[in-house]
Amino acid sequence: MPSDIFSYREPSPSSRGKDGALSGMKMALQPNMSVRGWPTEAGSMALRRFVALENATVVERLKEAGAILVGSTRMSELGFGLAGDLTASAVSEGHADCALITDTMGESLVAASIAGLWALKPTYGIISRLGLIGLVPSMECYGAVAMKPQDIAPVMKVIAGRDENDFSMPDLAIPDFRLDGKKGNTIKTIAVLKECLDLLSDDEAALFRSGLSRLEQAGFSLQEESMEEFGLFRTVHQVVGSVEASSSAGKYDGVRYGHRASAAKNWNEMYLKSRAESFGMPVKAYLFQGAYFQFENFDAFEDACRIRARLVKAMDDLFTRVDAIAIPTRRKKHPAEKALSVTQVYDAFLLTLAASVTGLPALQVPGVMSDGDFDSGLQLVGRRLSDPHLLSAGARLRR
Amino acid sequence: MEYESVIGLEIHVELNCATKMFCDCPNRPGDEPNQNTCPICLWFPGAIPKFSREALEKASMVCLGLNCQIQERSAFDQKVYYYPDLPKGFQLSQAHRPLARNGWLDITGQDGKTKKLRIHHIHMEEDVAKLVHETEGRTPISLVDFNRAGAPLVEIVTEPDMRSPYDAMEFIRALRTQIRYVGSSDCSMESGTMRVDANISIRPKGTDQMNTKVEVKNMNSIRHLGDAITYEIQRQIACLQGGEPIVLHTRLWDPEKKVTTAMRGKFSGPCVPDPAVAQILVSQAWLNEMQARLPEMPAQKADRFIRQFGLTREEAVMMSAERDLSEYVEAVINHGIKPKTATHWLATQFLPALRERRQTIVDTTVKPDRFAGLLSMLERDEINANAAREVLNQLFERDDSPAELVEKAGVRQISDASALEGLIEKVLVANVSAVADFRNGVSKAMGFLIGQAMQASGGKANPKLIREILTKKLGA
Repeated sequence: MPSDIFSYREPSPSSRGKDGALSGMKMALQPNMSVRGWPTEAGSMALRRFVALENATVVERLKEAGAILVGSTRMSELGFGLAGDLTASAVSEGHADCALITDTMGESLVAASIAGLWALKPTYGIISRLGLIGLVPSMECYGAVAMKPQDIAPVMKVIAGRDENDFSMPDLAIPDFRLDGKKGNTIKTIAVLKECLDLLSDDEAALFRSGLSRLEQAGFSLQEESMEEFGLFRTVHQVVGSVEASSSAGKYDGVRYGHRASAAKNWNEMYLKSRAESFGMPVKAYLFQGAYFQFENFDAFEDACRIRARLVKAMDDLFTRVDAIAIPTRRKKHPAEKALSVTQVYDAFLLTLAASVTGLPALQVPGVMSDGDFDSGLQLVGRRLSDPHLLSAGARLRR
Repeated sequence: MEYESVIGLEIHVELNCATKMFCDCPNRPGDEPNQNTCPICLWFPGAIPKFSREALEKASMVCLGLNCQIQERSAFDQKVYYYPDLPKGFQLSQAHRPLARNGWLDITGQDGKTKKLRIHHIHMEEDVAKLVHETEGRTPISLVDFNRAGAPLVEIVTEPDMRSPYDAMEFIRALRTQIRYVGSSDCSMESGTMRVDANISIRPKGTDQMNTKVEVKNMNSIRHLGDAITYEIQRQIACLQGGEPIVLHTRLWDPEKKVTTAMRGKFSGPCVPDPAVAQILVSQAWLNEMQARLPEMPAQKADRFIRQFGLTREEAVMMSAERDLSEYVEAVINHGIKPKTATHWLATQFLPALRERRQTIVDTTVKPDRFAGLLSMLERDEINANAAREVLNQLFERDDSPAELVEKAGVRQISDASALEGLIEKVLVANVSAVADFRNGVSKAMGFLIGQAMQASGGKANPKLIREILTKKLGA
């Protein structure tokens, strides 16, 4: 039922958009991606009745390229985790050719894996975040989910690129998403990390190994590698992410938009009650964690920032020896769609945090790591700006 | 026991940029409420701040004007606290990496000696919105005006080098002069473009201990700053003498009652680096460009005025204290007026006339060329001082040139001896007793006769010439 999937449907989407690179392509968005005039509640009572005043840069570019914006889907609160998120269903059920999912800790990759779809979480900083309402500005980005990689590349080509209104974009050369098969054949050696295998249960490890043989059959060479710090991604993500979330969610006070509590004695109580009633789990717990580090243990936050820099360097070092890293996308015993506590969320996204913490691109490939009953998804994490190369490597794998 | 005070200042200066600090909205807080707003400065979800180059330039000029070292790398943090005038929950401020450090200003101490007062750092930050509390009517309400939200500020934090209210007032005067010179702000405490908070502690004279300080806010003039510090020092001494400990807190200056009163405890939240605002990396080339924009500063200018124009130190300091005035006086001198004449007439006639009319040097219609035109007629004895004062007043009211006004008023000075001779003859005839007095040695009779002659000429005669002719005729 479409009404379950969408929180808002464009009443009269043009059958064909403007002439452009994405003419006729149907796109589903999440209601935290600003489209002028659309309800933009980001899955949270804290933004109830908020209507975007301006288009996100991404939305502007999609429209300009002729994409048809069909509507916005039900999403998790502020894009944190996947509980209640039906965005990938918009694609798997045929309402859209491609959907954009806010990716803070691997949501686009895991959602695609659950739905048997492809997803690309791009290099952080190649897409303008202007108009994206999220929680963790140093990690969140637009992930793209589609039935086939050929539908992801043109969307990325349109939405990636410098935005003079987003000063937070680093000065990066935007990768060319028009790679054809041959030119894109740059990914050859793929690492398997010992420490990643150590995190997996026996079942998960067995499924992963069976899938790795498919990589070899497709001509990739596998290389055992070690990265001692791999276990730190979870802690670093949680400390940095929760602090940024606590800071950026400070603006939801229920005054100009959003749920406003009634019967408060004074303004302070009104804010407290409004916020208490607005946020649900697991976001509320996450904000408390962030506030703890902000107010009570700031040193831990600063340590986490330093370790994060070290992790970025460790990954860069690894990429001097290999072209990509293979990791399962999700875990069977830790379903993301049912994760309602912060711990459950981090358990469910344990394997996709590396790309979020380091800002590296990651591709989710369906149908490779499957025992017929459960498909964990194959995640390929690549070098910074190697996004199109990941897409062509994935396509080669499934050919 | 004799105490001495230890005073440090925190000074917020609103930069006179065309736009706000992180968006293109006009930086005009006084407009109709909420006119100058956009999703960025309303702090709506999804907005991303766009740091203004002009704000960086104007802030950098302040730093250079206060002898600070601009840091190669600076960055904005989210200073977390909630108040209804800051509904996004944090203020963008440079808590960890300020724009500049280690500055200083010289003042002349009460003992007449030069005293160097150090500046710890200068950082940039955005201003918050303005709350308007409507208490009349059935339900009191609070309104928020976002015109000021995101206005560009610098905060200047001094070292605790000041020892008296005098030091603090002199420091603020010097700071105001420097910042006005570089053109970044008018630094008016009265209109709120400069806000000064003072941190005050006391200690036994001669020791170097640092005791608990008390912060005092809400002074809206330099004089109030001095009064508030004086009061606070006395209050703290009375506390100690009464056996009461000094506790760290903030007090508000009440200008009516001339006392400070304790205010709500200030909540100080954490500062989290903001990933959405790019760090600022200052290149040497850019720094050179800023340095090249630095005008000749008042101390150097005063020295030059002494050297080049032969002014006394007092005159030179006065003429260089404000950049507009200094440029004005220099323009007048460049029109060929003697520096002493220009200085004297500016100080005693022109500036009082401006004040009377509530005009400024910048907006007045009496531009340097017109004023110089008037003074050159005076210097050439074409008019006398009385006439010059009269014509100066008319210069403010009309667009005519000084020469036209002199003609219209008919005050051109009579410096033609033959024209005056007859006139003086008549005066001598009409004032026989005064002439007799003079001849009998009553010297002040001469002054009376000159006055009579001036009157007879309708004020137009050259008094010097009258004296000469009279002296000759009376054979004195």
